[in-house]
Amino acid sequence: MNQDYEVIIGLEIHAELCTKTKIFCGCKNAFGAEVNTLCCPVCMGLPGTLPVLNKQVVDYAVKMGHALNCSINRVSKNDRKNYFYPDLPKAYQISQFDVPLCEHGYLDVLMDGDVRRIGITRIHIEEDAGKLIHDDSFDGTLADYNRCGVPLIEIVSEPDLRSAEEAKAYMETITNILLYLGISDAKMQEGSVRADVNVSVRSRGQKEFGTRTEMKNVNSFGAVYRAIQYEAQRQIEVVSGGGVIEQETRRWDDAKGKNYVLRTKEDAQDYRYFPDPDLLTFEISEAHVQELKASIPELPVAKALRYVKEYGLLPVDAQLLASNRARSEFFDSCVATGKCDKKLICNWMIGDIAKILNERRIEITDTALTKESLTDMIALIEKGTISNTAAKTVLDVIIEKDVSPAEVVEEKGLAQISDSDALLTLVDEVLAQNAKAVADYKGGKTNVVGFLVGQCMKASKGKGNPAILREMLLSAIDKL
Amino acid sequence: MEIDVRRIAKLAMLKLPEEQVEAFEKEFASIVAMVEHLPELESADTLLEPDNQMHLRADEIVPSYPRDAMLQNVPKAIAGCIVVPKTVE
Amino acid sequence: MELYRKTAAELSGLLRKKEVTACEILDDTLARIDAVEPRIDAFLSVTAEAARAKAREVDEKLAKGEAVGALAGIPVGIKDNICTKGLRTTCASKMLENFIPPYNATVVDKLNAADAVIPGKLNLDEFAMGGSCENSYFKPTKNPWDTERVPGGSSGGSAASVAACEVPLSLGSDTGGSVRCPAGLCGVVGLKPTYGAVSRFGLVAFASSLDQIGPFGRTVEDVALLFGAICGADLPHDATSKDYHFPGMDADLKGLRVGIPREYFGSGVSEENKAAVLKAVDMLRDAGAVPVEISLPSTDYALSAYYIISSAEASSNLARYDGVKYGYPGDRKGTLNDLYLSARSEGFGPEVKRRIMLGTYVLSSGYYDAYYKRAKMLQRMIAREFTDAFEKCDVIATPTTPSTAFKLGEKTSDPLEMYASDICTVTVNIAGLPGVSVPCGFDQKGLPIGMQLIGPKFSEAKLLGVAKHYETAVGGFAVKEL
Repeated sequence: MNQDYEVIIGLEIHAELCTKTKIFCGCKNAFGAEVNTLCCPVCMGLPGTLPVLNKQVVDYAVKMGHALNCSINRVSKNDRKNYFYPDLPKAYQISQFDVPLCEHGYLDVLMDGDVRRIGITRIHIEEDAGKLIHDDSFDGTLADYNRCGVPLIEIVSEPDLRSAEEAKAYMETITNILLYLGISDAKMQEGSVRADVNVSVRSRGQKEFGTRTEMKNVNSFGAVYRAIQYEAQRQIEVVSGGGVIEQETRRWDDAKGKNYVLRTKEDAQDYRYFPDPDLLTFEISEAHVQELKASIPELPVAKALRYVKEYGLLPVDAQLLASNRARSEFFDSCVATGKCDKKLICNWMIGDIAKILNERRIEITDTALTKESLTDMIALIEKGTISNTAAKTVLDVIIEKDVSPAEVVEEKGLAQISDSDALLTLVDEVLAQNAKAVADYKGGKTNVVGFLVGQCMKASKGKGNPAILREMLLSAIDKL
Repeated sequence: MEIDVRRIAKLAMLKLPEEQVEAFEKEFASIVAMVEHLPELESADTLLEPDNQMHLRADEIVPSYPRDAMLQNVPKAIAGCIVVPKTVE
Repeated sequence: MELYRKTAAELSGLLRKKEVTACEILDDTLARIDAVEPRIDAFLSVTAEAARAKAREVDEKLAKGEAVGALAGIPVGIKDNICTKGLRTTCASKMLENFIPPYNATVVDKLNAADAVIPGKLNLDEFAMGGSCENSYFKPTKNPWDTERVPGGSSGGSAASVAACEVPLSLGSDTGGSVRCPAGLCGVVGLKPTYGAVSRFGLVAFASSLDQIGPFGRTVEDVALLFGAICGADLPHDATSKDYHFPGMDADLKGLRVGIPREYFGSGVSEENKAAVLKAVDMLRDAGAVPVEISLPSTDYALSAYYIISSAEASSNLARYDGVKYGYPGDRKGTLNDLYLSARSEGFGPEVKRRIMLGTYVLSSGYYDAYYKRAKMLQRMIAREFTDAFEKCDVIATPTTPSTAFKLGEKTSDPLEMYASDICTVTVNIAGLPGVSVPCGFDQKGLPIGMQLIGPKFSEAKLLGVAKHYETAVGGFAVKEL
């Protein structure tokens, strides 16, 4: 990227809320049902039908407002946004215009361990539109209205983001918070979190913003990054070539890695917002607002910072660990046992355990692992009873069923052999089989000792104590 | 007063044939003149009405309608979907 | 026995005494419809089959000695903008000519629960927009008192069918006077309830913040009977409905203060109409009421506010008719825009399009504050003036319409003149108040004149009580022989 220019980015993130029912009717809010089977006269906008607002949607939005440090508008309303499109059965979307539920907030995002504070303009509630199915084999478009009326919150950031990396980190943090709060499934691949990206560029040192474009259809973290990189580059090329940026809406095509104009300023829509006369003003009591606030758990960024400060974890590790609520809470409970080193717990959590969970696409709560079993296992490593290699075997067992690691060690004979006599025989055998390595060592390549330790561990089936083996190896070679 | 009736018709998604524009403009102007008979009033920031509030709904599932019932009035449907002319994306 | 002439209360008595059956009442109703419809044209559809099934069910219940609902066996006509499951609901529009709702309006469910019999759907101005019933895509309804004249609108079919004794009761809807005006012009009783008293679920929306379903009858008692059956909260379906229970009519008139707002007796209202209302107020005074002069100064602006708010809401409410999901299918060979434009331009009639255009304009960028927001501010002012007025009086009496029924075709060429016929009624919708129109005499041509009684929110008990007193004082309302 050309360093003479600064990129200014603002994100509008739409997140589907995981309420049981839709926002204005009792139809089930679910993904993947057969087309047009989660519909009723209300969400299909049949004549004479009326919307009734789902209280849970309001609660979820207020929770997000608290999480993003917003002020909550306790007295609010719904407005209609009018436009014609076949995915919008009423030809208006019920949204919020001038009195969003939450506004004037901020979100701290960790960038390489540093905190970047991003302003949150507003969060409002609205209904999702249906899905249009395009198929080249068919001369027309098919409409499925199952998604009509699925509740959304739209989170609008200030133009505070300055790079594609920051925008990606911001969106990841938002997604983590949605999951932390349990208010959205935040499944990108199902389209339950989507972003519109506003991008402008300006010369470094320039005060005023450049003209911005809005990009639609940005539907993954990777796409956020790529779309911004592309658009920023495009704008810089235009501006540095003496051209002018047009205020327009563009559509990102992630497969092609390109965007193109969807609407120019001249075609800008006139949405004719006005208060929805089918829905009156509603008020959330101060007590309820406080109740919702009290229900907000420690959030990922605060948690990561605490891990660094209190436990001395590396920022990158702390962030990784804190990004997942279930895993970090499990970690917290392990730490609370006080049985073993916090850093070791962290390493196991973001290392082997994370690997298993991600491979199996399950969560920590889906396993048999308990704070006792994991910390007991780590304590055994610390005491030198088992090696790291043996511990992996223990983990494989205790993740499947709730048994004590000591029993597993006993049953599988995994305890490290610290008995010198037994190990001496083993060391002699390894040295005899690896004459070349021994010669290399004597020739000055001292790092082959690691290889030899490994060979000994292998021969001991992982039970040898590597520290003791190392010493024995060195003294045995000296004697050769 | 000039009213761009073509723009309004476009927004309202109604045809306004060229030959009807002039007559409609005249009629429309007289209607607008009538509704312009309003006093100067102090305007509120928002149109909130805290004294007249609505009830909210509990998040409880009500069975959806059978698809056949939802599609019975649809002019054109294929494979459970509603058919519209190809949208340009 | 000429059952069709009887009131709902009388029919109910006969039925409970087993002197008639629900099927006999229905047969008589259908025969009467056959006899007078060619002259009146109040019905858009007669649903004899469904009605007979309900009448049989009522008769079976009675035969078995089971309890029946408050409207058992009583025929109730339904304005055709109120959804009836499995029965065509057209809104008198080409747009919905073949629309069959898969659901009932809440009021229809309530009528079914009260064991009423629904013999058919009644004509209206297309989407309830109009004051004469001439904006129906299908046919104009005629005024039973003079079939060359309009019945008023938009609930013209509902008013005319009751006035012509085709049904004892009917439901209409009132956005700016659409129950009260045709009641006044047809010489029957029509109630526009307090906003929120009756669920709007299933009433095809014209202007959501003003629409309210209301009953018609030939007597006040019948109107009260029907109102009692349809009112009440509908929280799962209508967020604007209120938990209201009708306790029955108030009986006492002593010391009742009747407000006479001078703005409703100005130059826009015919001398005959004014005189008839003032005479009716005199009769109330003789019965113990106290007339009080009051003023509602913002009335002058009410028509502007009404047409801005109602058209704005209509432009949005009627945007869903786009040829995609239901209704007139439009040109399906071209682009999406061709489909939209053809479905809407061919499916809607001229008055509907005019209001959509006006509503779109007043909401459009740059005009919202000047029109819509100002109109909403005025709405608050009008509501406040009423609240203040009700410190000085208990009910307000005005003419229902500025004149008696006009001739078919007389005002169709001038929309503004047609709009002006709502001048006495729109304020009541703007303020969300209840209003009832009762017959209060005739003009020299023998056409009925209506008096509108307005009360504070949820004062239907008092309002209907006053109306009932008046009805008793004049010895009942006249019924037109056909």
